[in-house]
Amino acid sequence: MEAVTITLNGVEVSGYAGTTILDLARESGVYIPTLCHDPNLASTGACRLCLVEDERNGALLASCVAAISPGMTINTNSPRVVEHRKRILELILASHPDSCLVCDKGNRCQLRKLAAEMGVGLIQLQKIPQNDVIEEVNPFIERDLSKCVMCGKCIRVDQELVVEGAIDYIHRGTMVRAATLNDMPLEKSECTFCGACVAICPTGAIMEKERVYTGTATNTVTTICPYCGCGCTICLGTKDNQIVEARPAVDSPVSRGALCVRGSYGYDFIHSPERLTQPLIKVDGEFQEATWEEALSRVAEGLGQIKKDHGADALAVFGSSKCTNEENYVLQRFARGVLGTNNIDNGSRLYSAASRTGLGASIGYAGTTGSLDALERSRVIMVIGANPEISAPAVAYAIKRAVRFKEAKLIVIDPRNTPLTQFASLWLRPGIGTDVALLNGLARVIIDEKRLDVEFVTRMTDNFTGWTKSLQNYTAGYVEDVTGIAKKDVQAAARLLAGAEEASIVYGNGITQHTSGTDAVVAIANLAMLTGNAGRRGGIFALQRENNAHGACDMGALPGFLPGYQSVDEAENRQRFEEHWGGSLPTAAGLSALEMMKAAGLGKVKGMLIMGENPVASFPQPALIRKALSSLDFLVVTDMFPTETVKLASVVLSAASFAEKEGTFTNFEGRVQRLHQAIEPVGESLPDLEILLRLAEVTGSKMPYDSHQDVMEEIEDMVPFYRHVAYADTDSMGLDWGDVEGSSPGTRRLHKGLFPSGFGRFSPVEYTSPQDVATDGYPLTLMAGSGRYHFGAGSRSSRSARLSKFSPAALLEISGADAAELGIGDGDAIKITSAQGELSTTTKVSNSLPRGLLFMPISYPDSPVYELFGTVLDPQAKGPALKTCAVRLERTDGNG
Amino acid sequence: MTAAKPDNGNKQRTIFICQGTGCISGKSLEITEALKKAVAEHGLPGVKVDFTGCHGFCEQGPVAIVEPEGIFYACVSVADVPEIVESHLRDGKPVERLFYKDPVSDEAIPYHKDIKFYNMQQRIILRNCGRLNPERIEDYIATGGYESLKKCLKEMTPEQVIEEVKRSGLRGRGGAGFPTGMKWEFCRNAPGDQKYMICNADEGDPGAFMDRSTMEGDPHTVLEGMTIAAYAMGSSEGYIYIRAEYPLAVKRVRLALKQSEEKGFLGDNIMGSDFSLHIHVKEGAGAFVCGEETALMASIEGKRGMPRSRPPFPATSGLWGKPSNINNVKSLATVPVIIAKGADWYASTGTEKSKGTCVFALTGKIANSGLIEVPMGIPLRKIIYEIGGGIPGSKKFKAVQTGGPSGGCLPESYLDQPVDYESLAAAGSMMGSGGMVVMDEETCMVDIARYFLSFTQAESCGKCVPCRIGTKQMLDILERICRGEGQPEDIDLLQQLGENIKAGSLCQLGQTAPNPVLTTLRYFRDEYEAHINEKRCPALSCVKLISFYILPDKCQGCGICLRNCPAECIAGDKRMVHVIDQEKCVRCGTCLEVCPERFGAVVKVSAEKVDVPDEPIPVTAEKPAASAT
Repeated sequence: MEAVTITLNGVEVSGYAGTTILDLARESGVYIPTLCHDPNLASTGACRLCLVEDERNGALLASCVAAISPGMTINTNSPRVVEHRKRILELILASHPDSCLVCDKGNRCQLRKLAAEMGVGLIQLQKIPQNDVIEEVNPFIERDLSKCVMCGKCIRVDQELVVEGAIDYIHRGTMVRAATLNDMPLEKSECTFCGACVAICPTGAIMEKERVYTGTATNTVTTICPYCGCGCTICLGTKDNQIVEARPAVDSPVSRGALCVRGSYGYDFIHSPERLTQPLIKVDGEFQEATWEEALSRVAEGLGQIKKDHGADALAVFGSSKCTNEENYVLQRFARGVLGTNNIDNGSRLYSAASRTGLGASIGYAGTTGSLDALERSRVIMVIGANPEISAPAVAYAIKRAVRFKEAKLIVIDPRNTPLTQFASLWLRPGIGTDVALLNGLARVIIDEKRLDVEFVTRMTDNFTGWTKSLQNYTAGYVEDVTGIAKKDVQAAARLLAGAEEASIVYGNGITQHTSGTDAVVAIANLAMLTGNAGRRGGIFALQRENNAHGACDMGALPGFLPGYQSVDEAENRQRFEEHWGGSLPTAAGLSALEMMKAAGLGKVKGMLIMGENPVASFPQPALIRKALSSLDFLVVTDMFPTETVKLASVVLSAASFAEKEGTFTNFEGRVQRLHQAIEPVGESLPDLEILLRLAEVTGSKMPYDSHQDVMEEIEDMVPFYRHVAYADTDSMGLDWGDVEGSSPGTRRLHKGLFPSGFGRFSPVEYTSPQDVATDGYPLTLMAGSGRYHFGAGSRSSRSARLSKFSPAALLEISGADAAELGIGDGDAIKITSAQGELSTTTKVSNSLPRGLLFMPISYPDSPVYELFGTVLDPQAKGPALKTCAVRLERTDGNG
Repeated sequence: MTAAKPDNGNKQRTIFICQGTGCISGKSLEITEALKKAVAEHGLPGVKVDFTGCHGFCEQGPVAIVEPEGIFYACVSVADVPEIVESHLRDGKPVERLFYKDPVSDEAIPYHKDIKFYNMQQRIILRNCGRLNPERIEDYIATGGYESLKKCLKEMTPEQVIEEVKRSGLRGRGGAGFPTGMKWEFCRNAPGDQKYMICNADEGDPGAFMDRSTMEGDPHTVLEGMTIAAYAMGSSEGYIYIRAEYPLAVKRVRLALKQSEEKGFLGDNIMGSDFSLHIHVKEGAGAFVCGEETALMASIEGKRGMPRSRPPFPATSGLWGKPSNINNVKSLATVPVIIAKGADWYASTGTEKSKGTCVFALTGKIANSGLIEVPMGIPLRKIIYEIGGGIPGSKKFKAVQTGGPSGGCLPESYLDQPVDYESLAAAGSMMGSGGMVVMDEETCMVDIARYFLSFTQAESCGKCVPCRIGTKQMLDILERICRGEGQPEDIDLLQQLGENIKAGSLCQLGQTAPNPVLTTLRYFRDEYEAHINEKRCPALSCVKLISFYILPDKCQGCGICLRNCPAECIAGDKRMVHVIDQEKCVRCGTCLEVCPERFGAVVKVSAEKVDVPDEPIPVTAEKPAASAT
């Protein structure tokens, strides 16, 4: 690009052609005030405060939109510029209420800051108030548009970053303002309450509502959101050891200045009155408060006794996909090195085991192969079995941006009409559980039409021929019969995917939580390799439900793997850790999560340590889980809340929240990100790491870590692909895998098509008719999945006052056709019955479902939808089929 | 003027009824039907009833022309139909009472060609308006239509077309006056496969209707001009952005598009050439700001019509980010003529920098209001006094406002200025899209500035601060002054705000919105000062500053004012001098209107106290003569 030289305040400076005057000025250290400018949004030149003068012709230019051109002689501060700027500010202030004293924005108001900066005080212009009261009942956002300066940032952040389109300009002249369609309250609009507008509003026009603790933050700490696997950076504002606000970090590589409703408003669980603030010991069926010393010795004693009496494998440890890498690492060391068992697993078994197994077998790496940036750059994006708008909002934002602003084509494969379908060029609606047939069919079209990436397939993969043969049956016609998707649509999707220079495949629990989950993941990997999109461009994006699902597995909170997916079977692997930790490690792979529960039920496992998980709520058949856990001789649970699982514990260790600790989370991309402690632990709770280290010490096996840094240093040593994560670097959020590409090839990422094991492997997978769909006596298929306002098992989100207020109960969504047939209306009380159990709730008629399919959100402790699910495991990954099951419905009497 | 001579009747005649929007509202559709029926009933085989688009002389509508003799009928009604048919169409004797009467001489003028309103005009853009049936492409072809397109496609390269238009000196008739040929050239030279040709037919100025009339009266000339432009710049896709409030224009343009496609003048491989063009009609939703080109393009894209900063200019990044060219209806309507008659011919009209003709919608306090087309450089005086027939009611000329709501008001001293882009701009006004409002001594210049600003203020898109809030501040000050609550410092504040807004606004709307205020401050400052300092409205127009009094020495006590006063604020009785209660008076002026002219007892004053009794007193005035003319 050509350099352009201009004179800026008398000094010659150069920038690339196309650079705005503002950007060049900022680069050159020259300050120009702005109000409507934001680096993450397109500039519009609306506020005009950034006016500068071109001294050649006296033209006033809005520097945020005016590009530099050769010979410009810019004065950013001429008397004329200053006079105009002041006048503009006066005009804004004349339409702004004088309510600064009582405005919550207070000293952080940018308008006030600018006024102070420019010395604009009392103004001679007449006050022209903008009266605007909007009745809003939602508990998240309140708008007082009398304070609006029409910078339009809320509109742009909504449209450009979150791509929701909930608000736009309405009216003209002084009546203009940001409004929803037909100027309805936010809760009656498309608004998802992501809070991006609140964060970006320069004045008090859009504010956070119903905060648990009022007041202005006195300190801000940047950390990582604890909810989904996206791992957005959030800035927690604190005051008096309370979190008063959560805001997106504008420089987060994941979310770039946007969060979702959970990230923005779900943090208040931290200060829930239900927080466990002290360890508890159960005495005669009642919990009694205890000191840490008492509780930990009780744990050491309880676990030790079982080990002594029944052997180490009578113990099981359940790690958490919500806890930090350091905590999971220490936990598995505790299980293996101290307790002496490989019976360790983590919560991600329930939703992403199939990913690990399937991707591991195909591409030799158990996770997402690209960054969100790569996803956003893709020319074609295929989303299958995922509703990222709900389960991974930052991913949905990136997909929508790619479609809306980068002309990417989107293929959505989902039986439900998800929010992404309106962005899709092609929406395929397969029957439940027919993904493998469809994916094989797509591959076959690509091969038949010779659209495969021959070079990539030849050089980077093996078993292509063998696999091709297995696709023999998957003609477009057969696929149409099985999936219900028209032949031409299958072909169109295949052509679109294969035709793109860079294509990405995004999948989620709709793939993994079926009994055929692993097969479907393999089929996705096959498709990605076939089109040359695995590893070197585009990629496979395996969504992870929870914040540290990736990390918990990376850290070896798995029955068969030591940290870094080093198989416990191999002596060489064990030896490395034995050398490091001393002693000898158990050799045989341990029990996976559901196997542990089964073994507990059978009395084979007698003691269990559960860190931050709530299996009674998150596992299928809660009654059986409850029974199994109740039958244990000893159960110790670390948690923040008295969850359903905690109630069964012998000892409860009160754990600190994410905001109260340090460490790292690894997001779904594999990005290792640093947490920072924002407040002191609530009550006497302690971070899980601290609890584990103290416990180890009490058991007489003190671990040589004084801090989370010490643990991470060991992780860097022991886990090859964490080697580059110099602890300090995880602070720099811009850290991208490209940075380490050259220095450590083949370690962390799939670069330039180099699979860790040398080659990607095509594996044949066959479609088998699904077991988890409607059947005799149970004519409807119930799908369970995340809802927008709650999360996971709901332990945290149900204790968020605002999330619970806005979405208090789980409703069963039913298609209009089914509702009409069954005589069910909106809000009717119904009973859902499956072969496993029954559940009562109320209905919501939804037009996003096809006939025969019901949807019910998980995460509502009062509506435990998993009561209805059986414990059918994916034979390879051993994850339960928790996506769908067969049910019937009846209206219950006395409905309203 | 020669009187029309009767002929022996029953010869070949066509009567053209105007079916422009104005005449249609005067029932010209019904007149056409009645004529057809009557002609059929009378069995006049040589007589045809046909219609045209707008003639421009809307004030006299519905109008009709009988060809071949060129008899012009004004203010025709359905009731006139039998007489027209029997007397003129059958017997050859024109109906004299329907002839146009010159407002100055009061002389009846039978022939269209003799009417001053028309014969001083030079019609290029409007050449076919009122002369042919706009719904028949054959009529257009018969006048040489689409020959220019043919010439371009067969004989000229796009570069030659651009060169010809550049040489003609044609400048954008949308108001900014940018040389049209250069615009085409920029777009032609801009890199990109897909380019868009856009016709801006979002005529939003209040009172301006030349684009509408052109589309209604001669849609094919717009299409031909557009096709030539598209050929020159290398575009295969075009849009005509018409406001939805112009249903007839939309209908006729759509029909013309269809006919043009059927004849092969549009579509793929036009006239057998390699050049293809598809034109779409996009209806605007009535936002004034959508006439601004970037807002217009946003609107076509389905977004809210809001201007964005330029550069990038549409020529490099326009509709959907592709190189685009936007021309006004009038610019495009001129193009076929330039190609047909040559750049030199066109450039021979007008001034050195402003070539050709311009169209004005002449309205306000003027005898002949309507659409006029005059050569560039014509003095304002000629337009107002000769074509426009001067100010009615022997009132005094005060100002003329050009350029629509963002134009400026020019005083009498500018009457001999030539009308062209540069002169108007130098005077603080602009050519704009061609509105021309004449004001007489009864127009208050503060109030008129307030009126125009209230329009632009309400139509501001609201994006940038100076335009959104600044114009509102100015408007509030003007309203205050008109109410007699102005402060001496308001004049300076208005001046400053006006300059702030002009220099600081994002688009042309804001950059020109203060013009009416700034020009009235410049030329009629005394009126502002009178309002502020003396609480006096010199034009006796601002309601809050005027009073009505009944003169005791003139009042006859007839009671007509008392009976008509809507505010019931007049006291009086038979043969008693009536008195207006100033507290209750709403200054509607009814008393002044109804007071018999021969009494002349009611006066309107501003900041002036008239000596009147507090209570009704017996009439003392002499009874005036019955007729006091």
